[in-house]
Amino acid sequence: MSTTLSADWARRLNSLQLALVGVFLLAPVVWMVLASFKQSSDVIAYPPTLLFTPTLENYVALIETTPFLSYGVNSIIVTVGSTTLGIVLGVPAAFVISWTRVSWPAVLTLAARMVPGALFLLPWYILFRNLGMIGSYWPIILSHAVITMPIVIWILLPYFDGIPRSIYEAAQVDGCSITRILWRIALPLVGSGVAIAAILAFVFSWNFFLFVLVLSTSDTKTMIAASFNFVGEGSTRWGVLMAVATLIALPPLVLAMIVQRWLIAGLTLGAVKG
Amino acid sequence: MASLSRSTSAQITGGDTPRLNPQTLQLTALSAPAVLFTFAMIAFPFCYAIWLGFHSFSATGHTRFVGLDNYRKLIGDVEFWNGLYVTFALYFLGLALQIAGGIYLAILLFNAKRLSGFTRSLFISPILLPSAVAGMMWIIILDPSIGLANYLLSLVGLPPSEWIASPVWVLPTIALIDTWHWTPYVALIVLGGLQSLPQNVFEAAQIDGASPTRTFWRITLPLLLPTIVTATVLRSVDLLRFFDIIYIMTQGGPGNASNTLNVYGFKIGFEYFNIGYASALMLTLSTIVFGVVLALNRLRRAVAW
Repeated sequence: MSTTLSADWARRLNSLQLALVGVFLLAPVVWMVLASFKQSSDVIAYPPTLLFTPTLENYVALIETTPFLSYGVNSIIVTVGSTTLGIVLGVPAAFVISWTRVSWPAVLTLAARMVPGALFLLPWYILFRNLGMIGSYWPIILSHAVITMPIVIWILLPYFDGIPRSIYEAAQVDGCSITRILWRIALPLVGSGVAIAAILAFVFSWNFFLFVLVLSTSDTKTMIAASFNFVGEGSTRWGVLMAVATLIALPPLVLAMIVQRWLIAGLTLGAVKG
Repeated sequence: MASLSRSTSAQITGGDTPRLNPQTLQLTALSAPAVLFTFAMIAFPFCYAIWLGFHSFSATGHTRFVGLDNYRKLIGDVEFWNGLYVTFALYFLGLALQIAGGIYLAILLFNAKRLSGFTRSLFISPILLPSAVAGMMWIIILDPSIGLANYLLSLVGLPPSEWIASPVWVLPTIALIDTWHWTPYVALIVLGGLQSLPQNVFEAAQIDGASPTRTFWRITLPLLLPTIVTATVLRSVDLLRFFDIIYIMTQGGPGNASNTLNVYGFKIGFEYFNIGYASALMLTLSTIVFGVVLALNRLRRAVAW
């Protein structure tokens, strides 16, 4: 990084370093996807092989020998349920917080992020068991809404704050009620915010490991919860394990590519301005 | 909820005529579901956990108030102190690697002006992978006999490593995996900070003939400090509660070499069903996290410009 290097060389050096970091970040993911398409003999080959005849046998084995499709359905029910609940609870809450400028409820939801999840899991488990809810999807959906609701609130707050007060005042002069202002004026203006909040809530709920580990039963087991069992028997079926991992990783990665433009602002949850 | 509606009415009516108008009612009604949910799923369970921490539960379902016994037991528990050591060793190691790597990657991304959104999102894709997937992926790569990692070591003439099977290497290895997972996140935050820095300072430094290295240490880094502290707060919260990847890859082992407080507490609660003791341990861990966050927030105010 000497000053005598021309700007051109500095740029090339920068690209080279960026490429190396990129390889470090992406190679493990590529390796996982490749391994999921390898025959069992290729997966355990040493030295590891880059060239191999691709096969779908791991995916076929997964569907034929395990109830993986129903795990997938469970994952979708839990994730869509908790995302919907997060939106239904979070959108009006964010609107009221922005309107009244009373921010402590938003801060309280963040406190939940600092506490180890297992601290909540113990009381939840006792309460849900006493209410006879263990075995249904509700404990998982409700626990995941603890993750999705703060995401929705914190992403939508700046959107609602960005709406000029004069619009609200004009509507109020015309006799518009607050609920109507939210539905007819504010919500259409923050539509893109709701979309990005929904997608990020979906990704974080989909990815969350701890709550499904405890709260799901054999009937409500999600893909992530089931994957933990695969790890135990993994040493005998590496390829299948990698097929599981690839399938779980697919939805968040695809969604992220779709919303890449807004992703960065959303992921940092307002930690970065501008 | 009461104080929310009270301050709401004061806000809307300007404080002169505090009365329960339809507007206040509507605001209360709109926020009620979220407030009730927060109370039922966060505030109440938290208080319940505090209560649990003062009690002991026998297998026959008998509940007994034991005062501070669970906390006293904690002080005498060797595994607790081991967990505290593991938690902080992993915290400092992971944090140092992620902050340094994050700043490095952010500067690389900042200097590469012509980068498409797609390429940029490739760099942040590890963040989006579930930690369960990250764990499974690295189990295969780090496998001592067939893994890619040892093959790469052999290519450069280094002896194979046991990685997560070695009590010595398990913590550095897990810190490295977490660094792989979350460095892009730190980079995103630092990149945002870089983009908001005043450009005239750098122009002035260039005119004065400051070298890039000197500019970085004397200007860029000090100006970035508030952003770096923000990233540190966000990563601290996760690193101090390290659970997912360890529970998937080592379950705290080999022995207790990677038994963080969160993993240990989980095992006490959900494998040994010692609910009171687990609650006490988790509350202690929560206090530690709150303490670190508060300290870092003071630091953030000190470095603000």
